[in-house]
Order: sequence, then C-alpha cells, then structure tokens
Amino acid sequence: MKLVLKGGRIIDPSQQLDIVGDVVVVDGRIEAAGVGLAEAADGARIIDVSGLVIAPGLVDMHVHLRDPGLEAKEDIASGTRAAAAGGYTTVCPMPNTKPVIDNAILVAGMKQKAREEGVVNVQIIGALSKGQQGKELAEIGDMMLNGAVALSDDGHYVESAYILKTGLEYARMFGGLVISHAEEESLAGDGFMHEGAVSAMLGLRGRPAVAEDIAVARDVLLAEYTGGTIHIAHVSTAGAVECIRQAKLRGVKVTAEATPHHLTLTDEAVIGFNTATKVNPPLRSTEHVEALIAGLKDGTIDAIATDHAPHAFEEKDMEFRYAPSGFSGLETALGVILNSFYHTGKFTLNEVIDRMSTTPAKILGLEAGTLKVGAPADIVVIDPEKEWTIDSNNFYTRGKCTPYEGNTLRGRAVATIVGGRVVMQGGEVKE
Amino acid sequence: MTKGQVSLRGKDILGLQGMTVDEMGLILDSAKEMKNIIDRDIKKVPTLRGKSIVNLFFEPSTRTRTSFELAGKYLGADVVNVTTSASSVVKGESLRDTLLTVEAMGVDIIVMRHEAEGSAEFAASAVSPVIVNAGDGAHEHPTQGLLDMFTIREKKGNISGLKVAIIGDILHSRVARSNIWALLKMGADVSVAGPRTLLPRDLEKHGVKVYDRVEAALEGADVVNILRIQRERQQKGLFPTTREYARIFGVNKDRLSLAKDDVLVMHPGPMNRGLEIAPDVAYSAQSAIQEQVKNGLAVRMAILFLVLMGGNDIEVSA
Repeated sequence: MKLVLKGGRIIDPSQQLDIVGDVVVVDGRIEAAGVGLAEAADGARIIDVSGLVIAPGLVDMHVHLRDPGLEAKEDIASGTRAAAAGGYTTVCPMPNTKPVIDNAILVAGMKQKAREEGVVNVQIIGALSKGQQGKELAEIGDMMLNGAVALSDDGHYVESAYILKTGLEYARMFGGLVISHAEEESLAGDGFMHEGAVSAMLGLRGRPAVAEDIAVARDVLLAEYTGGTIHIAHVSTAGAVECIRQAKLRGVKVTAEATPHHLTLTDEAVIGFNTATKVNPPLRSTEHVEALIAGLKDGTIDAIATDHAPHAFEEKDMEFRYAPSGFSGLETALGVILNSFYHTGKFTLNEVIDRMSTTPAKILGLEAGTLKVGAPADIVVIDPEKEWTIDSNNFYTRGKCTPYEGNTLRGRAVATIVGGRVVMQGGEVKE
Repeated sequence: MTKGQVSLRGKDILGLQGMTVDEMGLILDSAKEMKNIIDRDIKKVPTLRGKSIVNLFFEPSTRTRTSFELAGKYLGADVVNVTTSASSVVKGESLRDTLLTVEAMGVDIIVMRHEAEGSAEFAASAVSPVIVNAGDGAHEHPTQGLLDMFTIREKKGNISGLKVAIIGDILHSRVARSNIWALLKMGADVSVAGPRTLLPRDLEKHGVKVYDRVEAALEGADVVNILRIQRERQQKGLFPTTREYARIFGVNKDRLSLAKDDVLVMHPGPMNRGLEIAPDVAYSAQSAIQEQVKNGLAVRMAILFLVLMGGNDIEVSA
C-alpha cells in the first residue's frame, strides 16, 4: 500500500521542516518527505494537497471518551470519530470512567476495545489512586508495564499531599508521568464560575483563581522534592503560569497544557447562563487569558489539549448550577486555535502544530507528532484558509455542546490519516 | 400611560440589569395608579379577566408569592400556585419539562422563583408565556428592586443624586443586585457595606462603593436598605457569631444617626429583629418597611398588566 500526498506545504516541527513537497507513505509508515517524490510513485494512490498544509497528526493528551460506563455522553467509536474529524490521530482518554481505569486489566481492555472500535490511536491514562479516591495508590507499575502512558486522578484534585508525593516517587520508577487537575477543593469545590466582576454580577458562586495557584504551587514543589515528573492539566490562571515558569527555570520536571477555551474565552461568556460555558477550571478574566497566551508563546505552557468533556443533551439542558462541567472540544480545537492565533499573527503554523502535536507526543513519549522517515504515517492535512461555521448538530461526538456554537472560523483539518489509512477526508469520517 | 415608545407587552421581566430606565419608569408610573386600586373598598378590576397566571415557586416564599397572587387576582386574572413540594419536581422532572407542561395549559404568565441563578433566563428561552422572575438564586429579584425604587421615589421624589447604602449580605443577595443595577441606572450614589466575607469580590468594578464598616456607608445616606442575614451563613463560617454581627454590623439608632436626619429605612423582609436591624430602627418614623409590602403589590400589578396589555387600556375607573 503506497500513498502519496502531493504538493502540500509540509510543516514538521520535529525536524524544523517547512517546505512545499510530497509525503510518501508505504505500509503505514512515512517513506519519505521532500520535493518531487510524486513523479516516481508508480501505482500509488495520489492525493493532491496543493495549497494545503501537511503536518504530523494532532495529539490530544487530555480527552474524556466516557467509555466504559458513561456511553450516553460518548464512547470510543463516537469519540475517536470526533477526533478524526478534528485532525487528531492520537487521543489520550482520562480514567474517570465507570469503572475507573485503575488496573492493568482495564488498561489492556481499553487498548483492545480502542483497536476494535476506534478510528484513531488511543493511548490510555491510568488512575493515580484506586478508584481516583485519592486514598491509596493504584497499581501504577502494572498499568505502566501494560501500556498506560501516564497517570492521573483528573476530574479531582489529589487533595492529600501525601498521596501525590508517594505517587510521584512510585511512578518515577516506571517513567510514569503524573497529570494533575490542580484546583484546591476547599476553595473551588462549591463554585460554578471564575470569581470576579462577572460572578459578582451574576450571583454565581466563584471558583477563585487562587485555588488553582495554590494547587499548582504545591504540585510543583512536590515534583521538585521527589524528582518526579508532573504535568499540569488545563492551566488557566496567571499565577499558575508564573509558578510553572519559575519551576522550569529551577529545573523542575514540570510540563503544562492549556485548552483552546481557556486561551480564547473569558468569564464574560457566562453572562446569559449558557451551560456550554460551564467548565472546570472555569473560564477566567482577561488578565488570566493574556498571561496564558504569553505562557504558550514562551514555552511555559508546552501543549494545547482540548479536555474534550462531552455530556448528554439532557445533562447540559439544565439550570447553570446543576449542569455538569465540560463540553466537547475535539472538533473545534484546531479551527479555534488557527482562527484566534494563526490568523491574528500571534503564532506561526509551525508553533501551532508544535503545541498541538509534536510537543504533547514528546511529553508522553509517543511515537507520534513527527513526519520523520520510519514514523507511523499519522498525518493531518489542514486548509488554513477554509471558512466554516460551527454547528454542533454536525459533530461526530455525542456531546452536542460547545461555547463556540455558531462561530465562523478560518482554518480546519481536511484530511486525517492514521497509520497510512485515510480516516477522514473533507470533514467526513470514512468508517 | 405609555411613555413615548416604551412598551413591555410580551416582554419577560428577568432582571433590572437588562432593563432600561424608561422601562423601569413606565412600571413605576403604572404602579402609582395601581396603588390607588389597592386602597379601594372593592379592589377587583376586570383588566386581566380571561388571562391566566401560574406562580411556579421552587423555593419557599410567603410574601412574594402572596403578593403576586393578589396582584393577579385584583386585576381579574386566574392565578394558580404551584410549589415544589406538590409538583413533579420531587419526582425528578427537569425544569424544561415542568415549564413545557405549564405552557401546554395555555398560561399567559409564569411567575417563577427558583434557587438556581439564571433559571429565569432558562425559562424565557424554553417556553413562550411571559416569564416574570420572582427571584433566581443570588442573581436578581427584579420586582423587589422595583418596589424599592417605587418606595424611594414616593418618599424622596427622585432617585438621581441620592446617596443609598445597602447593608448586609451582599454576596448571596438577589435583592442587593437588583437594587444596585436599578439605582446605578437611575443615577444614585450606591454604597454597600457588610463583613468582607459577605461582599462579592470585584463589586467595585461595577461602580459601587464598597465598605466593610457599616458606619462608612451610612455617613450622609439618604436611604438605607438593610438586608436579611441568613443564619446558615454563620454556620458556613462567613462570620463568627450572630452576636458579633449584631454588635458590629447591625443597624441601630446610633449608627443610623450618621445618616441624614430624614433617612429612609428599608428592609425586604422577613426581618431578624435584633440581628441586622434594631427594633427601634425597624419601627421608627423613617421606616417604610410596611409601606414596601403594599408597594410590592402595586408594582407587581403594574408588571402583570404591562406585560399582557402593553399599558394602553387599564380600566382604573371600573
């Protein structure tokens, strides 16, 4: 099986590549990337991508596929199709399912199920503590030896500093990255939105920024003390960005991600009480958004992750305080980032692809995020100029809920190739 | 009695933040005429005969629900009260489905009280009858805000330029929020005061003066609106004891003497006498607390009338 992507702009941050040329795929791996390769490709399937961008497939290190147990929200089939539609070739589901993915059998089962039902690569994140209860460590070693790529109690802050400390120490033996959802529960737990001028107006209880600042500071200090590796999920505050920046300067093994929504929306989106704006951590005020963008630019924030968190219609169709937090992100992320950051001149295409593919792959140690010869042919073809309007009715995800509903964006994925197979073309997922 | 082009016909009354000064003015003018009806021997007028109003209350309420019920009845409408303990809510029905059920019965107005902020907005987007917000969580209580404006206007003639102090638990108070938006729009100088733990962060960004000492807010005030302190707030650790609250933040005669001599004292009720308000303040000559209740009825009559009839053909002489 030979496939040639012909005449596109090849952007690969993993090898500082930015040329117009062809990419040749043989038996699911990258055979070559360069100029004038299409001419010699006898009998290959040729896809003309002139005017488009060829890049390593996007890697989302933070999604919720809700499978097993919460299939009304999403399952592996629908979630990975949403990923393919959005240009993602690898997604990493968090373990807060029913049951929680907290042992090796469940990790192996998830991998098996993903191979059978998924259309993109699925890499499993195991729970840090049993049942994500924050009381006893899960079988971290066994999960890591059976293919888990990281450990997290995401959805919950690991309240006990002792559990996080021992978790970091223990995970370190297996090269296990610990991912933290950092919000101090006693400050944030009762709140529904960012605490500030808008919550003062709406009367909604606040989740103060300092709740995240404190949590990130503690987590970073424990990583520094133990020599473990920590990744801060969905950073949203100026204080957290600064804390991570300082820690990196000290040599702490810390990485961080930010979501498209925290990078592009403020708490003013909550005015009107649209439950599609309810998320944890909450949408913050402008000064936090600006600090987050600066952190993404200077490398303090390493990656963009969606925190794709679909919910069933009836769950979000509620009074604001009763609706669950989170919304779908896989199908809007690339468009939102290109529209807000590339087309405004804040980020180059190379930077966008680096933050959405190469760097998250590197953080997790995945064979992804690159078009190097011999790498799996996980590729996204992007039309940076394509205008489209977000309509959640057209989503592949079951979570038909997004704060960007009705927004017109410029830029989207037009083809997704996983292991050499074209799984999405022109917005249509093939299988 | 329409003011220029202003009409509220068919409009949801969700909050005062989204209401214009002209719209508020129309309601207040209209309420003045309604107040005359309340004083009559025979109160019933046929203006809203054939119209139906459902009071959908998801939170306990006596005065607001009674006020809306009488307002509808004095205007001749059919009024039904639905409270949560008796409704399908206890069976787990969603708010949308409850509203759709009420809508299907051909109701003209749904007056709704609900513990969740934004539930009035939700209702307005879910169903077609006019929604009148009778309090949504800590967000807004527009009819209370308007009855307070009515009371101030009645006693002081005008609102613009007055110094108004709102004292107590601002953080959890929909009454405070509705008052703040209306007062700011009408040109008052608004101060709030209470324990720092009961003041919303960044409230000053909305143009309100924020004090943590009651004395500072009362200094030279034309109007003081004292809010109810719910005892649960103490249990949540937001202030140490009710005794300390009364001593440091309670409005008594001494503190009130910092205000202007003719200061108007208001309280939305129900009062905790001896906690947030001293009895000699509550029953002083400056107190309009009982008058507020009557004005509430007039304001609610005006709103029910204006959203259904547009203000054109009230039969006040009937």
